[in-house]
Amino acid sequence: MGKIIFLCIFFYAELYAIEKLSEKEELQNTCLKCHAYDQIPNTLIYKRYLVKYSTKDAMTQAILKYMKAPKKENSVMPPPFFLKFPMKKRLDLDDDKLEHNIRIFLDTFDMKKKLILPH
Amino acid sequence: MLKSEKKSLIRFLLIYLGSTFLLFSIASWIFYIAQKHHLLDQQRENLKYEAAKIITHLRILHESFDQRLVYPVLPLFDSAIYDLDKRYIFGTGKETPLLEKKQYMENEEKLYYLSEVQPYYMGAAFLLVSKELDEKPIQELQIEILQFLFAAGVFFTLLGLFLGKLFIAPMRESMEKMNLFIQDTTHELNTPISTILTNIEMLVTFGKCKKNDELQRIEIASKTLSSIYDDLIYLNLNHQYYRRIESINVSDFVRERMVYFNVMAVNKKLELDVNIENNVILEIDKNDLTRLVDNLISNAIKYNNKEGLLTLYLSQEFLSVTDTGIGIRKKDLDTIVCRFKRANKSEGGFGVGLDIVNQVVENYGYTLNIHSKEGKGTEVVVKWEK
Repeated sequence: MGKIIFLCIFFYAELYAIEKLSEKEELQNTCLKCHAYDQIPNTLIYKRYLVKYSTKDAMTQAILKYMKAPKKENSVMPPPFFLKFPMKKRLDLDDDKLEHNIRIFLDTFDMKKKLILPH
Repeated sequence: MLKSEKKSLIRFLLIYLGSTFLLFSIASWIFYIAQKHHLLDQQRENLKYEAAKIITHLRILHESFDQRLVYPVLPLFDSAIYDLDKRYIFGTGKETPLLEKKQYMENEEKLYYLSEVQPYYMGAAFLLVSKELDEKPIQELQIEILQFLFAAGVFFTLLGLFLGKLFIAPMRESMEKMNLFIQDTTHELNTPISTILTNIEMLVTFGKCKKNDELQRIEIASKTLSSIYDDLIYLNLNHQYYRRIESINVSDFVRERMVYFNVMAVNKKLELDVNIENNVILEIDKNDLTRLVDNLISNAIKYNNKEGLLTLYLSQEFLSVTDTGIGIRKKDLDTIVCRFKRANKSEGGFGVGLDIVNQVVENYGYTLNIHSKEGKGTEVVVKWEK
């Protein structure tokens, strides 16, 4: 019985890791690959959205709005940013997929994970 | 201390100390609340200052965005950051839910300061800084106030006792005077009544004896009683008494009163030197004049030495009555006209005679002068001119 439970947990953990890995891969392929090619500063974008919207939900909605209609007015980035970096093309993804990817993006750069107390 | 005095003093102290204590308690309470707020405000200001420091650190962290972000920790202070939806992000100490949106909060143990963070560095929209409540200055304040109340209590109790005794002093004096007056009255009434009764008994027992002496004594005693009665009535009714001012021939009146008191003077074997100017007329109430003249003459007889000299001089300007009796001590001269004041208690009387004389003199605007030497005699002069 113990072996069965162990195997179940093992398989579940394995499946979760695979899922997470596949999510990361998806984000890498859908977003970060081009960001890397165009040298888009992901951290800077995250910080700009974070300092303006505070919560993950608000940030997600603001990024989603920009993704659906990529314009300077829909972005929090300053105008000089678009002089240096090319304007994003509209992605051919449904809203759920887009939102899912945004959440993974925000999770990747989540500053909460980096916060520690001094020793 | 008499029972009534004690009762009055206790009542006074209860009211006085009660009201003082109430007043001081209210004042102390208001002062305590104000000072406590002031002390808490000082501690809150510290929180505010520390919050500003943490926000500066958050800005630096936000800008750096290193792999490891070390959250600022200040000694003695706890802090936590919350996002715009009031969800806990990070903090020192245990996770505290953010329920209220008051800037300052406190419970029995801690003081809290809630600061809004704008822009949202590290995603923090709110920063909650807390600190253990420093009770020491508040306890010191409580002790100081209690010490003050205790010291004030002791001081005002002593002051109350002092004031109470001060206020009771006139009452005590009046009561003592009243007791003395009652004693004197009974004694004064007793002497003539006894004289009358004894002499009547002698007349009944020795019916065939010479009756002149006994009758004379009865006459003197009756006149004394009458004089006492008149003085008491005068004192009692002086303020309500309706005065009938008329022209009175004082010369005739004084002669008449000398005849009236002659028996008493003869009884004391006094030598009389009476010099009365004719037709001295005064506008005065007859009863007032009677009290004035009778008291001067009766005092001169009463306080004279046996076989002494009684000098009476009446002129258009003044009336002077002099005796060669016991006199008045120099220190008593200023107060001799006060009611119940008696220069010499060896003689009878209530000490109301000169008080009555003084009242009449003041009512009519006359002048009263008393010259006396202890053991030599007294001269009382009433000047008519105004």
